[in-house]
Amino acid sequence: MDDRHEQYFQEMPCYLSIHDKDFRIIDANRRFRTDFGERIGDFCYRAYKQREEVCPNCPVERTFQDGKGHSSEQLLLNQHGEWVYTMVHTTPFRDENGEIVAVMEMLTDIGEVKKLQWLLERSQDHFRQLFEEVPCYISVQGPDLKIRDANRTFRETFGPAVGNYCYAVYKHRDEPCLVCAARQTLEDGEWRNSEEVVTSATGKKINVLATMTPILGPDGKPEAVMEMSADITQIRQLQSQLTSIGLLVGSISHGIKGFLTGLDGGIYLVNSGFENDDRARIGKGWDMVQRNVGRIRTMVMDILYYAKDRALSLADIDPVEVFADMESGLQKKASDIDTELSIDINPDAGTFSGDAMAARAMLMNVIENSLDACRADRDKERHFVNVDVRREPPFMVFEVEDNGIGMDRETREKIFSLFFTSKGIKGTGLGLFIANKIVDKHGGRIEVDSEPQRGTRFLIRLPLEARPSVPPVEEPQAQEQ
Amino acid sequence: MPGVSSGRKRVLVVDDDQDTLDYLSALLVDNGYEVRTAASHAAALSQLEEFQADAVLMDVMMPGKSGLDLLVKLRSSPRWRDLSVIVVTGDDRVLEDHGKSYLSAHKGLRGPDAELGKPVDPEALLRLLETRPPMR
Repeated sequence: MDDRHEQYFQEMPCYLSIHDKDFRIIDANRRFRTDFGERIGDFCYRAYKQREEVCPNCPVERTFQDGKGHSSEQLLLNQHGEWVYTMVHTTPFRDENGEIVAVMEMLTDIGEVKKLQWLLERSQDHFRQLFEEVPCYISVQGPDLKIRDANRTFRETFGPAVGNYCYAVYKHRDEPCLVCAARQTLEDGEWRNSEEVVTSATGKKINVLATMTPILGPDGKPEAVMEMSADITQIRQLQSQLTSIGLLVGSISHGIKGFLTGLDGGIYLVNSGFENDDRARIGKGWDMVQRNVGRIRTMVMDILYYAKDRALSLADIDPVEVFADMESGLQKKASDIDTELSIDINPDAGTFSGDAMAARAMLMNVIENSLDACRADRDKERHFVNVDVRREPPFMVFEVEDNGIGMDRETREKIFSLFFTSKGIKGTGLGLFIANKIVDKHGGRIEVDSEPQRGTRFLIRLPLEARPSVPPVEEPQAQEQ
Repeated sequence: MPGVSSGRKRVLVVDDDQDTLDYLSALLVDNGYEVRTAASHAAALSQLEEFQADAVLMDVMMPGKSGLDLLVKLRSSPRWRDLSVIVVTGDDRVLEDHGKSYLSAHKGLRGPDAELGKPVDPEALLRLLETRPPMR
């Protein structure tokens, strides 16, 4: 090496050292000597790492073996007791016969790079952790609307979604939503909010407030969109409960006004009947009082049932017993309005498993509805309500048929809706809603056939073995009062 | 006899509830009125054909066509537009919400002459009928 090259070697801004086959350092530059000390003749593993044997995976050893340059990261201990992160490159020195006689090792200090890399990783981990743990659903969609990334809350609710279309994951749709906030944000780069109803992997409906934020590319244009959705189901449920309570109060007071008119009428007829000694008028008035007291009773039971949302208490039920308790009341009501009520329980009907009180309330509501439909009809001379109970495994079937006013399609489609009534002031819109709820809770179903002016047929199927949609819960007796 | 004046004031009561019809007709007959009842919109119109009423007392919440439909029908007819109409409702909102939009949809039509809430106050009803002159 001439002087000039010697100078280059000495002043290289990195650690340079030359090693023989025995891993002894045979030369080293100034920078090396400054940081690692005068180590010429010493073993490199001792000089660098205070070891007593060759380091595993030693790049110098590999270069001696294969004659090629090798690179690796090494953590070394300098003579000041400081750990130094280095990137090691090795290269072989050959003699005139091509034999490798030494290996030069160049170590560059990558401490600063390592530190930055570590800080970057730590901050990435930190943001990843925030992203994962934010208590809302986050997904990132590309312009093809495929989900590129999703946080833990999202994955736990919607399942592994990365690579799938957002509309398939969020809404179980086969094609994009008609109004797609994500696409709008991808187009105009504006953030926006929208309220959506999405479906979890298990089929649960979730109300969410979704915020779309554009993720801008190097050219400042949106290359993806981040959708962050907060679960507002409970707020919506509360809102709908409050609305229901408001409607319920309105519906109850509305119903009571109607019943009061009936009671006023009954009392007027009774009083004026006494004054004029008119027994027929007294009888008519008293019937009116009884009928309206009966209506109030039914309404109160419905309200209690609605308000309590009680769980089913299952037992073996004999339909004969169910009707035994209510038949005389229903027959009285039917005869008051000149309607023939026949209840036919097939002798082979047997028993079924269900909630007796709920089943009774359900049948009462349906049959009373049919009686009301007959009462409201003025076209026919003769009115009837026929109840037929029979066993059609796996169901107990209750068929309630009347020749009352019947219903048009709109009414038929709405009869099970809460607070829907076609009965003017006489209805609360609770009866059939509750009947339907009871049937649903038993795992059964109600079918309705109806035609205006012809009449209506309700076909109620209750499973012989109730399959409650909500598992039955024992209710504390103390709260029954 | 239909269509012949007996000198008594004549009231047509329209309500789909038989109890209410029984009550109001007994109340009015006892107080010297001649009363007819109708349980539907169609029945009310056919009664009016032969019964020359001085006043119509109508429920606005009825299945099918509402009392407000009947009011519009009466007010649009040269024959019945001057009839005295008293509207009975259990729900004040019906008149407030639907009534306004109904009547604005039928511009120039007169609204009901009086409104009564349910349960009907008999004295208020009799007082109202007393002060309505026969429209003949």
